[in-house]
Amino acid sequence: CAHNYVLFSSVQFSYGHAAPSTDGGKVFCMFYALLGIPLTLVMFQSLGERINTFVKYLLHRAKRGLGMRRADVSMANMVLIGFFSCISTLCIGAAAFSYYEHWTFFQAYYYCFITLTTIGFGDYVALQKDQALQTQPQYVAFSFVYILTGLTVIGAFLNLVVLRFMTMNAEDEKRDAEHRALLTRNGQAGGGGGAGGASCGGGSAHTTDTASSTAAGGGGGFRNVYAEVLHFQSMCSCLWYKSREKLQYSIPMIIPRDLSTSDTCVEQSHSSPGGGGRYSDTPSHRCLCSGAQRSAISSVSTGLHSLSTFRSLMKRRSSV
Amino acid sequence: MRKQSARTAALVLCILSYLLVGAAVFDALESEAESGRKRLLAQKRSELRRKYGFSAEDYRELERLALQAEPHRAGSQWKFAGSFYFAITVITTIGYGHAAPGTDSGKAFCMFYALLGIPLTLVTFQSLGERLNALVRRLLLAAKRCLGLRRPRVSPENMAAAGLLACAATLALGAAAFAHFEGWTFFHAYYYCFITLTTIGFGDFVALQNDGALQRKPPYVAFSFLYILLGLTVIGAFLNLVVLRFLAAAADAPERAARPPRRGAPESRGPAQRAGRIAISCRLHPLELCARDNPGFSPPASPGAGGGGRAGRPPARRKSI
Repeated sequence: CAHNYVLFSSVQFSYGHAAPSTDGGKVFCMFYALLGIPLTLVMFQSLGERINTFVKYLLHRAKRGLGMRRADVSMANMVLIGFFSCISTLCIGAAAFSYYEHWTFFQAYYYCFITLTTIGFGDYVALQKDQALQTQPQYVAFSFVYILTGLTVIGAFLNLVVLRFMTMNAEDEKRDAEHRALLTRNGQAGGGGGAGGASCGGGSAHTTDTASSTAAGGGGGFRNVYAEVLHFQSMCSCLWYKSREKLQYSIPMIIPRDLSTSDTCVEQSHSSPGGGGRYSDTPSHRCLCSGAQRSAISSVSTGLHSLSTFRSLMKRRSSV
Repeated sequence: MRKQSARTAALVLCILSYLLVGAAVFDALESEAESGRKRLLAQKRSELRRKYGFSAEDYRELERLALQAEPHRAGSQWKFAGSFYFAITVITTIGYGHAAPGTDSGKAFCMFYALLGIPLTLVTFQSLGERLNALVRRLLLAAKRCLGLRRPRVSPENMAAAGLLACAATLALGAAAFAHFEGWTFFHAYYYCFITLTTIGFGDFVALQNDGALQRKPPYVAFSFLYILLGLTVIGAFLNLVVLRFLAAAADAPERAARPPRRGAPESRGPAQRAGRIAISCRLHPLELCARDNPGFSPPASPGAGGGGRAGRPPARRKSI
């Protein structure tokens, strides 16, 4: 039946149990896929992201309800939940299809896996026995709903875990371009008092070099502020790592809409240290900066060339 | 928050209606031909049965045997070359199905193989695609400069057009090659390339299945593999250019929306620090975002505007640091 076939091909895996035989069908199929596949990709990612947000919210409430002191939802929590959702989706499908299609549980599990990863070999295809497409509408409906829901769950997990890596090259490019632009601007302006970038002792040599080079050219307030941030960052790299890791999932992160810079503006959550100089949940961290400096640092991301790969990886946008 | 949910709901509705429209059109195009084929098949079957005196079960057995013999007719599918081909179809999610693991251990390994392989492949192709786009951008810039344009700039439309052209050329090249090697018509070969490179992979047309090509024609085998991988890179580059931002946008949006309510929350820091923080962020990072959400602070629009117009601001921000 054409309906079944259409569902499958629009979702981009195809069993091939039915493929257009007429030339007109082939042509329409190509145009249909041309528009349908990107649309479907965007839809599943959109839906998956909504689900991730909702799950994060639920987990946060659950943690609060359980009276846990730190009710933040970490990335690890989300990944765990996502993984278990995928496994249970596969198992539920396996149970259902093994019953309806008289496959073994393993075969049905294999079918669900190959389907939901959109590979779609076609060695196992549902709805092909006993004229099910025509005579068993509830089973047909269940199959369609299962495939679409399953793809949403997998899509949510991919959105959580993989999407950030798909954009990393582009982000790095933008960050480099931004930094180059900044340096060019510094060079053009000339003169001026650089902020204390050159004087910072800690942090990576990278940062120091960049800071001094930035500060050396600096003239306007823009560059001064920037150099100061570099200075802070180099001194308080310990805090940088710690705050990024801790806050990565528990605070809303604003991601640049156009990747002209890949930096993130991070806003302090209520769980972070206050405006005074006190250290909150990081008693073990011996940090040189005062609380005010720290809040400035953690609220400003640095999209510097000098950031190590580790830092770059930590700056992956959280998908929730 | 509501904007994102509305967008998602709109997309879902869009897809559902797209499915309904597609179903109607495919039905109109294909069901006639299908019933025609079915009738022809039944006719041929009864002729054959009459001619040779097959019983119903015998004929069904024969049919089953014929179906099972199909992949074997194409040659050995699981030797190294065939398995490599299979591995490609797994991790790229093409999944022709011309060969599928028959043993349970093969199925189990296939699942774990795909579990790691598919995300790896997605990331790799996007990475490669982005590099390809960067190269093309540089080439276009150089070309524009050569042509003597005064202010050469490569616009997104240029890039999109180049990407589209590259995809069309890739498909046409593949179509020509496979039409020649497989003996298909150009249209069928084009259809094959399209279905392969969009990773749909019906399996109605599969390369390397004639004349034991997998074993006997290593250069053609190498060409096929390379074509698939390079073609996927080109398509991936185009997707990276055009579609990825929408996938990422779906991820970005809620944080933006979540910001304003948080800023008003009593637990946040004092207004000066907040203002300073946001100002620093906006000053350092000319984000449209900041401009939209913080009407008081407009990001420096150009290098020139950055220095002069903001002279009064820095001292205030310094204080907050």
